Amino acid sequence: MHAAWNLEKADRVPVAPINCYIIPYLAGLSIREMFYEPEKLIQATVDCLDILGDFVDPNITTFDHLSIIGKSGWDQATLDWRIWDDFPPKGNIPSFYEKCTLNDYDDAMESGFATILYNNKLKEVFDRSLEDMLYYEFEYKKAYADAWRKFVAEHEIPLLMGGRVCHPLDLLQYYRGLDQLTEDIFERPDKVKEMSEFLLDYELMRGMEDAMIMGAGEVPGAETVFFVNGGPPGMSKSIFDEFFWPYAKRAVDILVDRGFKVYCHWDNDLTHCLETIKGITERLPKGKVLIDFEKTNMKKAKEALGGRVCIYGNVPSSLLVYGTPEEVDAYCKQLIEDCAEGGGYILGTECEVPWDSKRENVRAIVEAASKYGQYA
Amino acid sequence: MAVRSSGGHDDEICPLELCAHQADVEKRRETVGKLSEAMASLDKGGVLAAVKEGIAAKRDPVEMIEEARKGLEIAGEEFERGNFFLMELMRAAQIFKAAAALIDPVIKECHGDTQVKGKVLIGTVAGDVHDLGKGIVATLLQCGGFDVIDLGVDVSEAAFVAKIQENSPHVVGMSGLLTTSIPVMKSTVTAIEKAGLREKVKVIVGGGVVGEVDTSSIGVDHATSNASEGIRIIEGWISNSES
Repeated sequence: MHAAWNLEKADRVPVAPINCYIIPYLAGLSIREMFYEPEKLIQATVDCLDILGDFVDPNITTFDHLSIIGKSGWDQATLDWRIWDDFPPKGNIPSFYEKCTLNDYDDAMESGFATILYNNKLKEVFDRSLEDMLYYEFEYKKAYADAWRKFVAEHEIPLLMGGRVCHPLDLLQYYRGLDQLTEDIFERPDKVKEMSEFLLDYELMRGMEDAMIMGAGEVPGAETVFFVNGGPPGMSKSIFDEFFWPYAKRAVDILVDRGFKVYCHWDNDLTHCLETIKGITERLPKGKVLIDFEKTNMKKAKEALGGRVCIYGNVPSSLLVYGTPEEVDAYCKQLIEDCAEGGGYILGTECEVPWDSKRENVRAIVEAASKYGQYA
Repeated sequence: MAVRSSGGHDDEICPLELCAHQADVEKRRETVGKLSEAMASLDKGGVLAAVKEGIAAKRDPVEMIEEARKGLEIAGEEFERGNFFLMELMRAAQIFKAAAALIDPVIKECHGDTQVKGKVLIGTVAGDVHDLGKGIVATLLQCGGFDVIDLGVDVSEAAFVAKIQENSPHVVGMSGLLTTSIPVMKSTVTAIEKAGLREKVKVIVGGGVVGEVDTSSIGVDHATSNASEGIRIIEGWISNSES
C-alpha cells in the first residue's frame, strides 16, 4: 500500500476492498452494536480477517460513519437520518431523507450551525439530549480511538483513516437537496461559493481534530484523512471546475501542509473532469494523496493521473452482490491490465463492499490481485 | 400597407386594425423558435422573456408550452448523448417549470384545463429512502405533460398495490439505489400480479444499481438507470396505447 501511495511498484498490486457494514453483518452484530460497542466491532474485524482472504488489511471505514451515532456529528446531525438497529429484513443500513434543511445561507453563516441543528424539520429524528450529544461528540470518540489503538498494536494492521472531511458541495447537496443546489449554482453562484468557504474551514478543523484523537502521528493510518464524496452527481466540467475543484484542491493542500495524508473517496463518474484532477498533487510531495474512484473510467484515470497520484478502484457493488467469482475475477484482471503498470494503483471496490456481497466474490478480488498483479 | 379583407368591399377596409393584426402575427412569428432555443441553452432569462413576449403578442399558449417542451426534449437528447450532465438536465426542467408557471394560466383562460398525456405512479421501493432519481423522473414527467402521483420513498408493496387500485395509472415506476432494492422490486411486482393488476399497467424500474444488473427475472417491462431514457420509454408506451 505504501509503495502504491508513493507511485512505486510493490511486489504485487495491493488489494484493499473497503469494508464497513459487511464485517458486523458477517459477524452477526446488529448495527446498534456496531456503532455503540467498539470492542464488539473490533472482535468482529478480527474474526473477519480471514473471511476477506489471507488476513489482508480489512480497511474498515466505521470511523467515517461514526458521526451518525446518537446523531453526534454536527454535520450528520443536521440531516434527516434514519438509523435502524438491525440489518435487513428487520432494519437497514443508515440512510437519510433528502430535504432542504438549510434555508438561508446568510443566516447559517452569521449564526453558525445552531439554526440547522435545531431545525424543526428534524425534530422527529433529532431526539437526543444535550448530554448525549456532548458525550458522543467529545467523549465517545476517545473510547473508540482507544479500542482501535489496541487493535492496531495487536494485529499490526494500520487504520484506513483517522478523520473525515466532507467537501462543501457535498454538504450543500445534503442540506439543500440536489434540485435546490442546482438552482443555487445557476442563480446564486456567489452565495454558494461564500458558503463553501465557510463550510470548508469547519470541515477541515473537524477532520484534523478527529485524526488527532485517533492518534495521528502515533497510530499507523490515523494520519490519513478520508475526503468524501466527490461532489453531487451530474456536475458538468464547468460546474466541477468552478464549484468543486478550487475547494477540493485547497482542502488537499491544507491537510498535506499540516502533515496529513489525504484519501479522496470520490463518487460518481468524474471521467470528464480528469484533466482538472491532474493538478491534485501540484506543489505537493509524493505519497500524500490517493484518489478512490467510484464510477470513473479507470483506464482513462490511469492515462491522466499515472505518475501523479495513486488511484484506487473500482469493482462495482452490483457485481459483488449479484455477480459470480468468475465475473469478479475477469473484472479485476481488466482493472489490473488498465491501471497497474508502473505502480500507483490499488485494486479495490467502488464505494465499499456492500453488506450483502457474496463472500466468495470478495475473496475473488484478493485472489485476482495475486494471480494477475505480480510485478516483475 | 393596407390589407383588404377577403370580402373585397371597399367599405370593409380597416387599414389600422389589419396592420395591427399583421404586426401581431409578425411579433408572434418572431417568438417562434426563441423559446426552445433558449430552453436548450439553459437561458432562463431568455426563456421567460420569450414567453412574456409571446403572451403579449397573443401567441397560442399551447403552442408555446409545446415549444418549451421541445426545448426540454432537446436538453434530454443532449443528456443521452453525454453532452449535458444531470445538473444541466435538472436546470432545464427548472426553467421549464418557470415558463409553465407563466403559460399555464393563459392556457386555462383560453382552453380550460389542459389535457394530460397519461398517468404515472412513482415511488422508491421499501427499505430504500433515496429520493433523488425518483424525484428527477417525476419532475421530467410532469414537465412532459404527465399526471404524476409521487408516493415518496420507502413505499411498501401494499402501498403500491393500494395506490394502483385507487388511481388506475398507465405506468408504475419503481426506483431504488441500493443493491437490496432489486429483490424488493421483484416482490412488489409479484404483489401487483397477485392483486390482478399487472396486466393493467406497464412497469418500469430505475436507479443507479438497476442499470448494472440483470433485471430480466424481476418481471418488469423496462429497466434503466438513465432518467431521460425512462421518459422516452414511458412516452412511447402512452402514445402506442393511444394509437
